[in-house]
Amino acid sequence: MASSQPFPSGPPRPRPGFSPNPNPNPNPSAAADAIQNLQIGRPPPPSAVPGVAAAPPFTSPASRPGPPPAATSLSRPGHPPFASRPPPSSAPITSNGPPAFGLGAPRFPPPPPASQQMPPVSGPATIRAASPSAAPPQAQVARSFPGSPPSAHPPSSQPFMGPPPSSQPFMSPQLSSQPLMGPLSSRPFGGPPSSQPFGGPPSSRPFGGPPSSQPFGGPSSQPFGGLPASQPFSGLPASQPFSGLPASQPFSGPPASQPFSGPPASQPYTAPPMPFPGPPTSSSPFGTPSWQSQAQQGVPSMVSMQAPPRMFGMPPHTPGQTMASVPPVMGHSPLAGHQVSTPSKIDPNQIPRPVPSTSVVLFETRQGNQANIPPPATSDFIVKDNGNCSPRLMRCTMNQIPCTGDLLSTSSMPLALMVQPFALPHPSEEPIQVVDFGESGPLRCSRCKGYVNPFMRFVDQGRHFTCNLCGFTNETPRDYYCNLGPDGRRRDADERPELCRGTVEFVATKEYMVRDPMPAVFFFIIDVTMNAIQTGATAAACTAVSQALAELPEGPRTMVGVATFDSSIHFYNLKRASQQPLMLIVPDIQDVYTPLHTDLIVQLTECRQNLEQLLDSIPNMFENNRVTESAFGAAIKAGFLAMKPTGGKLLVFQSVLPSVGIGSLSSREAEGRTNISSGDKEAHKLLQPADKTLKTMAIEFAEYQVCVDIFLTTQTFVDIASISVVPRTTGGQVYYYYPFSAVSDTAKLYNDLRWNISRPQGFEAVMRVRCSQGLQVQEYSGNFCKRIPTDIDLPAIDCDKTIMVTFKHDDKFQEGSECGFQCALLYTTVYGQRRIRIINLSLPCTSMLSNLFRSADLDTQFACFLKQAANGVPTSPLSQVRDQITNLCINILHSYRKYCATVSSSGQLILPEALKLLPLYTLALVKSIGLRNDGRLDDRSYWISHVASLSISLAIPLVYPRMISIHDLASKEEDGSLLSATIPLSSEHINEDGIYLLENGEDGLIYVANMVNSDILQQLFGVSSADGIPTQLVLQQFDNDLSKKLNDVVNEIRRQRCSYLRLRLCRKGDPSGMFFFPYMVEDKAPGGLSYVEFLVHVHRQIQTKMA
Amino acid sequence: MAEDLAGGVAGAAASVDPDGPDGVRMTWNAWPRSKVEASKCVIPVAASIAPIRASPSLLVLPYAPLRCKPPCAAVLNPFARVDFAAKIWICPLCFSRNHFPPHYAAISETNVPGELYPQCTTVEYAPPPIDAAAAAIPPPVFLFVLDTCLIEEELGFVKSAMRRAIGLLPDHALVGLVTFGTQVYLYELGFSDLSKIYVFRGTKEISKEQILDQLGLSAAGLRPGTAGASGYPKARLQANGLLPSGSVNRFLLPASDCEYALNALLDELQTDQWPVEAGNRALRCTGVALSVAAGLLGACIPGTGARIIALVGGPCTEGPGMIVSKDLSEPVRSHKDLDKDAASHFHKAVKFYDNLAKQLVNQGHVLDLFASALDQVGVAEMKVVVERTGGLVVLAESFGHSVFKDSFKRIFEDGEQSLGLSFNGTLEINCSKDIKIQGVIGPCTSLEKKGALCADTIIGQGNTTSWRMCGLDRSTCLTAFFDISPSERSSQPGSTNPQLYIQFLTNYQNPEGQMRLRVTTVTRRWVDGSANTEELVEGFDQETAAVVLARYISLKMEMEEEFDATRWLDRSLIRLCSRFGDYRKDDPASFTLHPNFSIFPQFMFNLRRSQFVQVFNNSPDETAYFRMLLNRESVTNSVVMIQPSLLSYSFNSPPAPALLDVASISADRILLLDTYFSVVIFHGMTIAQWRNMGYQNQPEHQAFAQLLQAPQDDAQMIIRDRFPVPRLVICDQHGSQARFLLAKLNPSATYNSAHEVAPGSDIIFTDDVSLQVFYEHLQRLAVQS
Repeated sequence: MASSQPFPSGPPRPRPGFSPNPNPNPNPSAAADAIQNLQIGRPPPPSAVPGVAAAPPFTSPASRPGPPPAATSLSRPGHPPFASRPPPSSAPITSNGPPAFGLGAPRFPPPPPASQQMPPVSGPATIRAASPSAAPPQAQVARSFPGSPPSAHPPSSQPFMGPPPSSQPFMSPQLSSQPLMGPLSSRPFGGPPSSQPFGGPPSSRPFGGPPSSQPFGGPSSQPFGGLPASQPFSGLPASQPFSGLPASQPFSGPPASQPFSGPPASQPYTAPPMPFPGPPTSSSPFGTPSWQSQAQQGVPSMVSMQAPPRMFGMPPHTPGQTMASVPPVMGHSPLAGHQVSTPSKIDPNQIPRPVPSTSVVLFETRQGNQANIPPPATSDFIVKDNGNCSPRLMRCTMNQIPCTGDLLSTSSMPLALMVQPFALPHPSEEPIQVVDFGESGPLRCSRCKGYVNPFMRFVDQGRHFTCNLCGFTNETPRDYYCNLGPDGRRRDADERPELCRGTVEFVATKEYMVRDPMPAVFFFIIDVTMNAIQTGATAAACTAVSQALAELPEGPRTMVGVATFDSSIHFYNLKRASQQPLMLIVPDIQDVYTPLHTDLIVQLTECRQNLEQLLDSIPNMFENNRVTESAFGAAIKAGFLAMKPTGGKLLVFQSVLPSVGIGSLSSREAEGRTNISSGDKEAHKLLQPADKTLKTMAIEFAEYQVCVDIFLTTQTFVDIASISVVPRTTGGQVYYYYPFSAVSDTAKLYNDLRWNISRPQGFEAVMRVRCSQGLQVQEYSGNFCKRIPTDIDLPAIDCDKTIMVTFKHDDKFQEGSECGFQCALLYTTVYGQRRIRIINLSLPCTSMLSNLFRSADLDTQFACFLKQAANGVPTSPLSQVRDQITNLCINILHSYRKYCATVSSSGQLILPEALKLLPLYTLALVKSIGLRNDGRLDDRSYWISHVASLSISLAIPLVYPRMISIHDLASKEEDGSLLSATIPLSSEHINEDGIYLLENGEDGLIYVANMVNSDILQQLFGVSSADGIPTQLVLQQFDNDLSKKLNDVVNEIRRQRCSYLRLRLCRKGDPSGMFFFPYMVEDKAPGGLSYVEFLVHVHRQIQTKMA
Repeated sequence: MAEDLAGGVAGAAASVDPDGPDGVRMTWNAWPRSKVEASKCVIPVAASIAPIRASPSLLVLPYAPLRCKPPCAAVLNPFARVDFAAKIWICPLCFSRNHFPPHYAAISETNVPGELYPQCTTVEYAPPPIDAAAAAIPPPVFLFVLDTCLIEEELGFVKSAMRRAIGLLPDHALVGLVTFGTQVYLYELGFSDLSKIYVFRGTKEISKEQILDQLGLSAAGLRPGTAGASGYPKARLQANGLLPSGSVNRFLLPASDCEYALNALLDELQTDQWPVEAGNRALRCTGVALSVAAGLLGACIPGTGARIIALVGGPCTEGPGMIVSKDLSEPVRSHKDLDKDAASHFHKAVKFYDNLAKQLVNQGHVLDLFASALDQVGVAEMKVVVERTGGLVVLAESFGHSVFKDSFKRIFEDGEQSLGLSFNGTLEINCSKDIKIQGVIGPCTSLEKKGALCADTIIGQGNTTSWRMCGLDRSTCLTAFFDISPSERSSQPGSTNPQLYIQFLTNYQNPEGQMRLRVTTVTRRWVDGSANTEELVEGFDQETAAVVLARYISLKMEMEEEFDATRWLDRSLIRLCSRFGDYRKDDPASFTLHPNFSIFPQFMFNLRRSQFVQVFNNSPDETAYFRMLLNRESVTNSVVMIQPSLLSYSFNSPPAPALLDVASISADRILLLDTYFSVVIFHGMTIAQWRNMGYQNQPEHQAFAQLLQAPQDDAQMIIRDRFPVPRLVICDQHGSQARFLLAKLNPSATYNSAHEVAPGSDIIFTDDVSLQVFYEHLQRLAVQS
């Protein structure tokens, strides 16, 4: 139906030249039928592509600090993940580029193997994977659906192989139309077979780089051309489609042609190789198939095909080409018709869902003096820094910067950077280089104080350089002078990391120090109230600290101290050579002080034995403690006073609501309940700090470089909303163990602590982000203290912390220029060196809205939404926050629909390829703990505080967790891809005889349905019936394959997330089972729509706006 | 009664116990009947009482006393008139008739209870405890408060003194430990796992409630402000908290249980580790430390005798009670500063200690102060606490000095030398009508129990008939001042009793922990009219009068601004001499004094020159110290403080008292001067030379050796009995230490004295007048009309 139209329309866009507008018109007509199509690119799950090749990366596992493996698990090493290679599929995609035909060449990106899902095609499902760009295909598709879906293309399998096919498409530009089809073809992938095919060959090759090309070459061409298109659609619909296709073509536009032409298609590929890896991965994870990451090598290549969206490299070419963006569209015409019925018409299996990838992509940050579009944050990739920083360290919500503020606001998308300055590198990546400029310190722009970077332009034979941030022309210092080469670059550019790397570290000179770099100070404060003692929290904390001592940095600069508290504060003098430590009690909790001038914090080497002995005896010492009151505020203040001269990390273990002394709190939860009748209007106030005391304290802490981390091992309400202010202001974080169980949480506590102190981190840091004129920093958001408008103070910063920086325009950019961003972080290493880490990112500016959509970075944008939502929760009623988030999603899609989509049918919901998962994530966000109505106050507060510093790669799973089945682990391939077979978060996918593991980076829920084979239970849990599994689950490894695999899986997840999952058992039919279902975000829930319903809702809203 | 009088009159005789069995000495043993007469007597009517003086003849009665009906409540005594037939006794003080209770049914003229024996004017009741709880003898509590802002050496002395003390403590005594410097450390001795210390900051005044609360000892177990907020029911908290009385045992342990722990703590005790900046004094928070100690004891069961034994080595420079800032450029206040009101911290500190005193008195606990420093430590400010609680005070230069070491040891010693430290005393005074009580000077606190017997004018602790003595010992001595205010009716001659009666009731917990009531009833004669000067003169006790006057004038000097003590003394003496001297008007040569007055002018001469009046030679701390001792010592000892005794030893004669005059110095004599605070052995030049040549070691010069030894032995005797232990100074004529002697001698020969100085004698470099000149002036002025 309507869908057909879409296609046509689609193409237009692509045409570069055209402005987006056209679309609108067409659509209207369609409206009636409105179908909602979702185009989603499903990322083909690369399924288990065993990435063999990948191996190398893995090897290095060591490099990572290692997430805290379970105590038991040794897993650390396992970087299995890496192993998986990107499916070859990716490769194919890249090739597309060329098609630049006017048509939006829909790229198909190769849909990677969307494999699994496809076939389903439920008849009705109209959804299509629009993706592929081309609308056209869709049209067909649509039809196809009904029809034969899958069947048709059995061949599909081949196609896959064929990523190659794709290449062909390009080849023949003209075909464009066909190509589209082609893309569609991808669907074929969808075809059942697809998965395998992909897996196989491709994967390995991709890496190989070159090889990949071959594959493509051959087959590829064919595939595309032909079959795919038509068939594909039909078949597989959704899944594949999304993947890719679509978008890419547009790009291809101009350049494309050449490339294409260049027979070379193959070549391109080759080049791509690297990219490939990239793409694939990326695609898979997210759904967006395309990733293109591919960076195409060649310049021309850019055109990537990719799935539309991502453009990678798309050159800024002429507008004409650009178009590609058309995304996928799915039109459900039918729906349109009967809106009501809508839901039924959408095939739940066809709608966009994230598809994990297991392959590793090689990503070059720049190529041909162009910024490449980074792979999704959640995918596995290896970065080669050649000018821009690794996207792990800093990435932008859009990979092209709108020239004007108007353009940005039209898009409704946010413009923000996510900066994670200590993000863990992939083990295969080059370490960040340290540059020592000697006494003069690093070279800086004399006007804006920006640091020298690869984008500073040396002119006048090198005698001057122009700052890329403020445009000022500086004189080159004599000892830094160097001639320029013929290409206008300094001849020594490649030898100087600061001139060729996006990220470098400068050795700081005295000028950057107000005092000598501080030692690494770790002060532990442990709750010993009756409650903590009796729940075992004290013992767990003591054990954790004691064991973690071994992880502290070695050397004389590492200092430690310990205190305990109940209604008073107990310090320990650790230095005494004789006898046991001395306990010093500070009973005045209204006005605390330190009990000694020295000896509370001593060198680890001097006191290790005393300390271990002390930690050992603390639980016994307080065994009969009857004090129930907790002077938490006073305790941290006292700890702070002890650390005031040096600064450092204050690690607090706390179990009950702080009830006495400074910063004491009341049980607001109870109040909240009793006042519930007064309406929900004020409910959010309970998520705000109770008063300013802790905030004031925290600011003082920050001033003296004290960072507070709080481990809440509790079984009651502790008012995280108030408490979390301290860690949030001081660069720390909250850990939450609720309800605390000594049986199951001790290991996590230890691992969290261990990771906390051993992860890469820096102290007494100051960070500032600079950007080119035209933009200015609007706001920083994250865990820090801000005392002056331009800088943020971070008493501590570590590899898990992310800071969001939003920007606003204060001027226009020239089309074709680049906007530079530079994050400068001055900090002290744990070994006491003062360093300045400089992270540079330079992105092209565009005045085309379609470019913005094509270059949109879903993960980053979503992380941004998530943080904004979290910020909003304490200040607005929940329903309002949910509406805002939903509206944000609608506005973006509306903008796209209105200005970029060419589809004429209004009956289709058209999703930009890059953002096709936005509705799903938005829905999940609305249903997340933080935004649900039924959450406990503390859970919600914790969620808010957790989100504040969350990295992009953890933001997504937090909202849209990963679920895999574990009862059938044994039957899954042993290729390290155990994690890839994710299950949509819908209860329809839960079988009565299954056991599932759902993880969001924090918690791992093991759901045991009620008809599980007892043999499996026996193997996994050592019991024969579900009832026999202890509620306080401790995962053990039994001597059988299944159990080992489960352990491997869990350890792998832990490694990936740098977090020791808190495993929790959810039994069907048991109250514990109720924890599980709220995570089934695609289900219809009392307070929320199902995924399909939500899509309908979104579509309807857009239609309303369009009208 | 007669014996009493005799005792009073014959007080000067060394062989007789001047205080008698009652331990009561009065300035006037015959009392003028009217107010006017009394004021003409110049010397106030006052009694010096030693409430629990040890007496071998003391009768202890194992039953409860019989008391007169309220409001009198006097205890049955030998002066009561008993009607054996009617089984009635008439109270001599109020003349009420009281029936004997049934258990006195057996009373008869031949069968009288002990309290009615005529010689038993002082008896002690030791009634059996009422119940088992009362029978349980609360152990004494010793809470040590140690200053750690000391140099290592001094801390070492403190430690060794402490170790010795710990060894001497009775096993059942409860012991606690507080140390302080910049902060206060309270040791939880009952915590066995490791050394546990509560730390209080030194800068902040902290109330008893806060302390108890912070130590988890408060009865409620609740912290203010949190009860409601935390939402926990009160009951639950209480259930969880330990009983306050039980938990104080965390800090106070029987000596036998914590001896090891204490010794271990002492071994590890370090000097205060907080840094002291150059040019500054160490931060020392004595005030907070004492607050904490007092607060902790507040958790003890009321009635438990407890002492805070504070060892202080320097001035309080931080927090409440601070006497000087930490900046060394600011000197510690002097008398001059106090006079000019230029001591910025003084009044605040005194106020703080005053409150602390109130708290301790309420709790019935004692503060003992051992101050050892070359500088002042704030005794002047702390005086109020020590004195009100009846604490001991010792001022020394160093913790290594014998004045400290031996005194400190004495506290814990048992046996004959024991100080007989008792607790929880209350003194009640009952007297015949027409007599009002103005107040008491001495180590006690008014309980503000006002009654008809209270005078309008107040001296010292007044406005009451009952005083609290948290700590008292065998030598504790109080001075009660009386006012005579006859009512209309009593002035009618004939209808009145010629005798007046005063009864002192002292309730206290003796060193063994038992509660005792000592009852002393004394009677004196009224002297009617102005004609009977003779009788008054006969009843004058010049020693007591000198001491009372010294105490009185010390009080006035402290209380009254711009008080000119010397003039006041001179005028009083002149008035007294005019009133009681024998002379012809305007003829100085005719002036004579009755023997009962004969040495009084000399006492006054020496008092004028003493540290009590001439304060500018001393620091405020020293002055306070001297006055505290003056106020609490017996008359005999106090006289020595005013007018030192001097013994002379020579080959020619047995040891004999010598004139307190520079003329007593002779090259071949050894002098032994006892000023109470110090004992000086002064070798004449020749003696010193002989000694230096070692004659005493030669067998043929045994006599010389004996001569050298004799004053040493006598000095040791004095030292042994005295608390605080006096400073022993051994010096030679013309040596630098000789100043300790010279300062006390009558400067009859000065550098400008007219007459020849005897060979071997000495002169004093002073412009002070000599006793002789003083006398001359006195005579001249006394006879002036």
